[in-house]
Amino acid sequence: MFQKITALAWKDTIIRFSSRTELLFFLILPLVFTVLLSGGVGTGQTGAGDNRIVLLVVNQDGSEPANTLISALAASGVVRIEEKSLAEAETRFADEAAPALLVIPAGFGAAVLDGSTAVLDLRQLPNNNNANAADRAVQTAVSDISAPWIAARASLQEAEDLAPFADDAARQAYFQQATDLAAALLADEPQRVSVTQPEAAITEANTYDLAAHQSAGQLITWVFIPLLGTSALLAFERRYGTLRRLLVTPTRKSTYLLGTIFGQFSTAVVQMGILVGFGIVVMGVNWGHSPVGLAIMLLTFGLSSVAFGVMMATFVKTESQANNLSIMLGMSMALLGGCWFPIELFPPAVQTAVHVLPTTWAMQGLADLVMRGAGVAEILPEAAVLSGFAVVFFIVGIVRFRYE
Amino acid sequence: MKKILNIGWKDLIVLFRDKGALVLMLGAPFVLTLGLGLITGSFSNNSGSSSGLAGIAVVVVNKDGGELGQGLVDVLFSADLAELLAPDTAVSPQAARQQVDNNAIAAAVIIPAGFTDGILPNASGQVGEPVAIEVYANPARPISANVVSSIVADYINQVETGMVSVNVALTQLVMHGRITPANTESMMTLGQEMGQRLISQDAAPQPIRIERDKAAAEAASNPNFLAYIAPGMAVAFLMYTVALGGRSILAERDKGTLSRLLISPTSATQILAGKVVGIFLTGVAQVSVLIAASALLFGLRWGNLPGVVLLIVTVSAAATGWGLLLASLANRPGQVSSFGTALMLTFGILGGSFVQIPFTGLLAQLSKITPNAWAIEGFMSLSQGGSLADIAPSLIALVVMAALLFGTAVLIFQRRSGALIAR
Repeated sequence: MFQKITALAWKDTIIRFSSRTELLFFLILPLVFTVLLSGGVGTGQTGAGDNRIVLLVVNQDGSEPANTLISALAASGVVRIEEKSLAEAETRFADEAAPALLVIPAGFGAAVLDGSTAVLDLRQLPNNNNANAADRAVQTAVSDISAPWIAARASLQEAEDLAPFADDAARQAYFQQATDLAAALLADEPQRVSVTQPEAAITEANTYDLAAHQSAGQLITWVFIPLLGTSALLAFERRYGTLRRLLVTPTRKSTYLLGTIFGQFSTAVVQMGILVGFGIVVMGVNWGHSPVGLAIMLLTFGLSSVAFGVMMATFVKTESQANNLSIMLGMSMALLGGCWFPIELFPPAVQTAVHVLPTTWAMQGLADLVMRGAGVAEILPEAAVLSGFAVVFFIVGIVRFRYE
Repeated sequence: MKKILNIGWKDLIVLFRDKGALVLMLGAPFVLTLGLGLITGSFSNNSGSSSGLAGIAVVVVNKDGGELGQGLVDVLFSADLAELLAPDTAVSPQAARQQVDNNAIAAAVIIPAGFTDGILPNASGQVGEPVAIEVYANPARPISANVVSSIVADYINQVETGMVSVNVALTQLVMHGRITPANTESMMTLGQEMGQRLISQDAAPQPIRIERDKAAAEAASNPNFLAYIAPGMAVAFLMYTVALGGRSILAERDKGTLSRLLISPTSATQILAGKVVGIFLTGVAQVSVLIAASALLFGLRWGNLPGVVLLIVTVSAAATGWGLLLASLANRPGQVSSFGTALMLTFGILGGSFVQIPFTGLLAQLSKITPNAWAIEGFMSLSQGGSLADIAPSLIALVVMAALLFGTAVLIFQRRSGALIAR
């Protein structure tokens, strides 16, 4: 029986890869999507090995406060500044080469030092998460550098409330002394916040590792779609009558189904292996401390997906329906499962609702491995749910399956 | 001409009767638009924001008996942050950390004993050893944990700025002889009074204000994220439709229906033209249906109607050009399907249909060869109140793209006319 199963699996593999275009979906597109969505090559999100978001900066002032702001932005872990002339920056921003553009206008430094309010001009691409992140980074830098000036203004106010200054020079000197004093005191302040995380964690604290997320998310997307395509293979056999011919031979129906499932599942395991390897070698993703945990997650995800494909085969009539439905369901379930965007960005109600999808559990399990550094025990709940999905889908698929 | 239109109409009817094709032509773009709308919260609020960050689960443990620890708790539970945070309290740091370890919350904020005493001087003017607040972050929810850390850091920043302000003010007043306090106690009293004044001056002008670009702010205040997603998805799956149309050219040959057509008084040119018209009309119908459906069901405002019509026509023409080019290069119908689907997905990501990525360099140039990028730009402009003049670059680019692709495909078809008619 095992020989028959392997023979059937091999036959299906040959059929699937009879056209070289299959390599497009098996390998090329998954890798292209992983690289592009990770911001890997030439996107506005990265420089060479620098994952920070590009922030275009135009310094029209050149004063010390302006330079202080630029230094604070340069030290940010969120944005990577590119100083440009206004014309250059506007052109790059119009081309959407960067999600945000900050203009430090002439007179900025003077306004800060004379006690009035200096205004920064921040332009952002609408509806863009990177633009929002860049905005937060600018706010943080402004907040950091403003502290000495706020303190100096308060000190100046207190002094003026008691008695006016002799002249503007005396006032300015008092303000400058206050600024220096405040800066020195603030620099001496001890650390009052420490960000920690579980010891096993792999990614840096408070850092969204786009490559890790997309490597896991695109793996799920591009393995899920062809496994749903198992339905097309079964529809193909039905349409051409080859299944009936096969069943004339001394082959049990269960053997046939097992052979088909084994073939698709084995191919998926190879594909997952390649994508994980690509993530490690090319994207520099750390796939966790637990190879056993990773294997359990990938195998249970593969099983639940191929089972979904078998179940789907009982609802479709033609290969075309099966293929197209696989793409539609695969993409939408991956999207809703948090494979493309972090699930923490979804509205709370949606975060709960999407737990009816196997892709959500698969992504959660892989995120546990690649971000939290989880071990076998921690991913067992996700693996158990995926196994449960597999059992339910297989039962529905086998009960409803039409052999002719 | 009548024959050409008949062939085109026939192809349109055939495609719209194919349930399998309808899944990707209409079902997929609609479902994905719906999905993206759901995960971005576009149906539940009017912000149109691409970020759905809300209700971040955070647990606070306050072991500090002082006012500053309680002040942070009050900030985390404040009405201002009610939408962003879903705070809770825990008694022990271990219990709070356990919730992070179990992936139940985004972060635990642990305020240690002696936090206030490490900042504010006691009655004798002594300040205790400084201790740090711990933000125990969940690595699986880095964006949410980062928000919590930022809120805590902002609070600390305000406290430190206030302390330093009082310190600097008192120091300078004494240095410049503007006050002469009798003893430490009177200095303490002065400092407390000054601190109260600073708190009451909360609304005092900040040294630096960030002014956001008005256009972007207006864009963000309108529910326009769906206006970006919907045309993006429609155009992405338009590429599938035109590939399917291109496939039908080769399928007619393989099934023998092309030979039968050629026996009739219909020339090969008329047949090819009819097929092109069929692909084009199907594309126009597909995008029109999706746009009308999203206007009716999602309440999207598409803007200037003539502009919308022109964009639908030109993007369908450009996509038809890609479909024809594929058909002209392929040997078998299956190849057109496979490459068509691959092209649909690749153009989808390069042209910004699925995710908006600010490409640079070669990728930025490559995105310009996709109908997706030009069409999305045009539709976005119209939905934000743009006029025909505003979308002129998109219209011109799509027309030029259509002409170039159509011309190239015809040349290839002419060279391979033998292979096209008989195999």
